[in-house]
Order: sequence, then structure tokens, then C-alpha cells
Amino acid sequence: MGTIIEASAVATAAAHQRSLSPGALELADAAARSCLESAHRSSEELDVLINAGIFHDKILSEPAFASLIQEDLGANLSPPTGAGRGTFSFDVLNGACGMLTGMSLIDGMLSSGTVELAMVVASDMDPEPGVSEGFSFPGVGGALLLSGDDARAGFTAFRFATFPEFAKLFHSYVDWQEDAPAGRAQDGRNILTVEIAKSYVTHALDCAEPIVRELAAGQALDLAEVDLLVATASVPDFADQLAARLGVSAELVAILPEDLAAAHTAAPAAVLQEVDLTAAGTTLFVSVGAGITVATALYRG
Amino acid sequence: MSNTSMNGGDHWMALEGGADGSGDDGSCASRFAGIGASLPERRLSSDELMASTEYSTGIDLERLTGVRERRIAGDGEDSYTLALAAARDALAHADCTAEDLDVLIVSSITHYVGGLRMQLDPPLSVSLKEALGARQAMSFDISNACAGMMTGVFLLNDMIRQGRIRRGMVVSGEYISQLGVNAAREIRTMMDDQLASLTLGDAGAAAILERAPQGAPGIEVAGFTTLAEHSRLCLAFPAKIGRGASMYSDARTLQEVGIADTVPMLREALNQAGLEFDEIDYFIPHQTSARAITKGVKEFSEVMGSAPKHVVVTVNEFGNTSSTTHFVALWKYLREGRFLKEDRVLLLSIASGLEVGIVIFKVDQLVERYGHDH
Repeated sequence: MGTIIEASAVATAAAHQRSLSPGALELADAAARSCLESAHRSSEELDVLINAGIFHDKILSEPAFASLIQEDLGANLSPPTGAGRGTFSFDVLNGACGMLTGMSLIDGMLSSGTVELAMVVASDMDPEPGVSEGFSFPGVGGALLLSGDDARAGFTAFRFATFPEFAKLFHSYVDWQEDAPAGRAQDGRNILTVEIAKSYVTHALDCAEPIVRELAAGQALDLAEVDLLVATASVPDFADQLAARLGVSAELVAILPEDLAAAHTAAPAAVLQEVDLTAAGTTLFVSVGAGITVATALYRG
Repeated sequence: MSNTSMNGGDHWMALEGGADGSGDDGSCASRFAGIGASLPERRLSSDELMASTEYSTGIDLERLTGVRERRIAGDGEDSYTLALAAARDALAHADCTAEDLDVLIVSSITHYVGGLRMQLDPPLSVSLKEALGARQAMSFDISNACAGMMTGVFLLNDMIRQGRIRRGMVVSGEYISQLGVNAAREIRTMMDDQLASLTLGDAGAAAILERAPQGAPGIEVAGFTTLAEHSRLCLAFPAKIGRGASMYSDARTLQEVGIADTVPMLREALNQAGLEFDEIDYFIPHQTSARAITKGVKEFSEVMGSAPKHVVVTVNEFGNTSSTTHFVALWKYLREGRFLKEDRVLLLSIASGLEVGIVIFKVDQLVERYGHDH
């Protein structure tokens, strides 16, 4: 049985600012609902819900953001009074590699029969516009619905690697600033800071290329056979540059719209809105995030 | 359609395993290979904490919660250092090295590095993997409130049972006492929504899971569910009044629904394992307060018609160490030689979300790893 992406959806702050106050939770909720609708599925069918977003409302550390999304979706909220099914929600925190990490975990749980339908949701939004420092990601939420399919291969391999020598190139943290600028607070405040070095994209490419080649070698895949490249790293132009290094034609690169080019954790779902995954034979997923962490996967439609 | 495990049957929880821990399709069984912990040297009694409150509260915290004292991080200690020390301790008790780990999961609620700076990117698992030398491990962080480590156990158990990995570690470092410091500045009465923050203590804990030899005892059942109707009963986020975070909870409702909604989950997990409640030798619930544990066990036992042989309480000496509580308790009992090899343990997680997680396992070879042979 293969793990397939049954549906994907995206919700952007720009598109939703008239109908709702688009915090990260609202974007995640909207993407998740849209994803379920497009697959003609009910939220009550979800066995597992994983949130992979990082920058969310108030920077909540408890509970898991996924449990809030689950409640908003109305997915098996109440305790069972008899036979029934539940939903298990938790967060995966792995920067821009979170969605691929979540999909690898779901791939395992689908294979073992522990679950039958699962979703990975991710969204990022500046929690305090005008106060946070260095936050440059567009407000966007994405959702991917996964299930098992006996007739299709789906995900056939995942590969992950970390390069801690480049950990300082992409940093985000919340820290107390005593000297917060006037007008913010008298006695200081906790402020989110995001720092991405200019050299990050070059090192992201350097780290990703050998891991992709290892994945391909392990799967006896000639990279010339790749029909679709879905590559994200929270910075614009990463996908094109990686394709050039790998020898994948530029025409086979899935490209984010310009306003979402720097999308963070939701980027893989956002990219899939631009392509027909089912029509593509062999899709190569590559995500690079802080760490530097590289996540790659091979998907056979 | 309904949730079905490898062993079949309908159930509310996502469940792994059956009576012997393995499926009937030849899947592998997993077991705990080592449990580690790290506790700061500094102690803070409840009397000392309550003497520091901004307002006169009249709260007898020790009488109310059973928490006599908790450990608090000292200079140079934070979420990362506590996690690293616990991970090293777990490796010291397991028959493997860091290079043998296929997966490393960090499950801390708190991500404080270098004091009270909360690190979001990169995940803590990247630097922990490097420090441990776990070169082969896939690494990532998860977050699931106080159920974080149990969630990691659930994930590792699933991977090992499928044969995807041979060995993995889940580790948490919780520098969470700062929430109590912030609460002490604002709390006024016993009904305050920051009361639960006063019970928190700092600790690191780690658990290594490995593929069990054919026929060897290990994890019999692992299950989880989220009853998200209650997801907003407890929220924690960066504090407005100072460094670190603040936590606001409706602790009374959380305790009531936690106990009521856990009963059918306990029944499901025990049924899956083919066990009665009194076949559990040691019951280790999440350590929130002695009173909550006593009340919960009483209600569980009444409904189930029997009671576990022993109930483990460590909240009196360590406080609520959030995601690490079950494994700090396990570690303490292993070090003190309390377990017999044939003892069966049930870990119960009831955490914000509302998360309900259950792991049932046999102690077996773990007792020998802590210098005991019974």
C-alpha cells in the first residue's frame, strides 16, 4: 500500500483579510477545511492531525497548536459514549522541513495500519506585526491530506540530514528586551526575532544537493527521470537554483507565486497548488530549513 | 470507517500493539532500553515560593497540591542542558551508543537555550544530535504539552514495530519553573488561573526504545487521542510581565474532564492488552498534584471494578515537571530498585489539548540496567 497525497490546499492572509482576521490559526483552519472539502472528506474521518507551523498566534507553547485546529474543524471533539473514532493531534517542529517530517511520520502510521486518514497542516503569521524583528515570511497556511492506496506507490522514500555547522545562519527566537523601543512597553517585553544570513541560500543548496543525490542513488533513480521538483527553503529562487545543480529542467520546477516565494513551513502545500501531482510520474520533494536541516522524499504518482 | 490497529477491532484511540506487544502479522515488538533523567541541584520549597508572592494569597500550596518542593534550574542550566544530561544518562543505562540511534525526538514544551531565550529555529534536536554524536539519526522536535515525551514514545514504538528503525530516543528538557516565578508576581487567590504554574519544577528526561528480541517482553500497548473540545482550557505563551512564559489554565475543569474522559480510554487500552486494571503493578499518571492523582485513581478504580497494585507519586518532591514526569518517576523507581522484572507498568498522560496517552509495558531487563537483579 502506498501513501498518497489525496488533496492539498492553501490559504493566504491576502485572500482572507476581508472575511476574517487572518492569524496563523485562521489560516490553518481555512486551509484544512478547504483540503477536506476538495477531497470530499469529513473532519471526523481524520485519525491524525499534525501541525508543522512555527510562527503562530501568541507563540503558544501549550497546548499543541494542532489541538486548536482540531477543535475548530470539529474533528471528534467529544469523549466517546460508545463505539466511535478519535483524532490524535500534535505538533512537529522542524522548521521548513516540518511538513515533510510530518508526512514521513504519517507514512509510517498508515503503513502500520495505526491510522487510515491523516492531515499535515502548517501556517505562519507574524504574531506581532511592527514589533517582531526580521519576520519576512508571507502569511500563508497549507494543508495536505494523506491516505493509503493499494493501486499507487505514493511516497517510496524519505531522507533527512542535518548540518549543525550552519545552525547560526537561520535563527529565530523569543527573548526579553529591556530596551524595547519607545511606545512598545515601559519595562521591556518578549519579542520574536528572525535572523536569516545572506549566505543561507548558498549553504542550503550545498547541503541539499548531496542528500538528494544520496536519495536518488538509494532508489536507483536517474535525476533526469524526475517529472516534477517541489523544492522549498523559505527564501525565493531556491527551487530554480537547486534544479540547475541537479540537472533538472527548469520547466519541471514547481514555482510558488511571487507573493508566496518566501513562504516558510506551509511552502510544500502552497507549491502543490500550482501543479498536478497526480499527472506527474515521479516527483522529488526537497525542503531545507534551519539547522541546516534537509528533508527529501520521492513520490510516485 | 473506524480506527483499526494491527490487531483489529474498533476503538477511539490510535492504538499500537496487542497482548504480546506485536501484531499478528509478524511485526516487531519494542521495549525501553534505557531511561535517563537530570535534576537540578537547587531546590525550592512551596513555602519559599509562596513567601515570594507579590500579594498575600493565604494559599497553603503544599497542603493543596502535595508539592513540598521542586528542583529549579541554576546558573548555566536551561532546557537544552537538562535534555542533554538526561540523554547522556539514558545512553549510560542502555546497551547502545548515540551512533546507534536511528531517530532522535526532542519533546520539550520549553525551548530555552542560554537562559530564558526561547529558540524556535533551529529545533533543539539539531544541536542535541550534534552534542550526543548521533550522526545517523533522523532528528526533529515535537510539541504536545505535557504529553510530549509520551507522544515521542508512541511515534518511536510505531516505527520500531514496523521494522523501519531499530532504535530511537525521545528526550525533554524542561526549564519551566520560571512560569511559577511569573505567576507568583500576579497570583492573588486560590481560584487564580495561574495557580497550576506554582506546582512546576525543572527536570530533563530521556527514554531509549529499541527492537525487542523475539519473544521478549516490552511495550504491549501504546495509544493516544486528543479530545479537542477542551483544547483551550490551558494556554501558555511568552509572558507579558517578564522573561519566560506564563500559563493560564482552568485547572479544576481540566482535572474533572480529564478524569471523566480518560475512563473509556483506559478501558480501550487495557482491553487491547487483554488485561484487567488490577493486573497493572505500577500505575504512573501525569504528576499534577497529589490530590488530583488520588481522586483520579479512586474514580478509575471504581468504574473499572479493580485497582492497580501501586500508584506512583513523585509530585511531592519534584513538582510537576511537565513532559518529563512519567520518565522522572520511572527513573527514580529504577534507581531505587523498586521494580521486579515481571512487573507491568501503565503510564497515563492527561495533558493540555486534551491529550490522553497510555503506554503499557513490562519492566523486564530494565531492572538489570540499574544495578538490580530482581
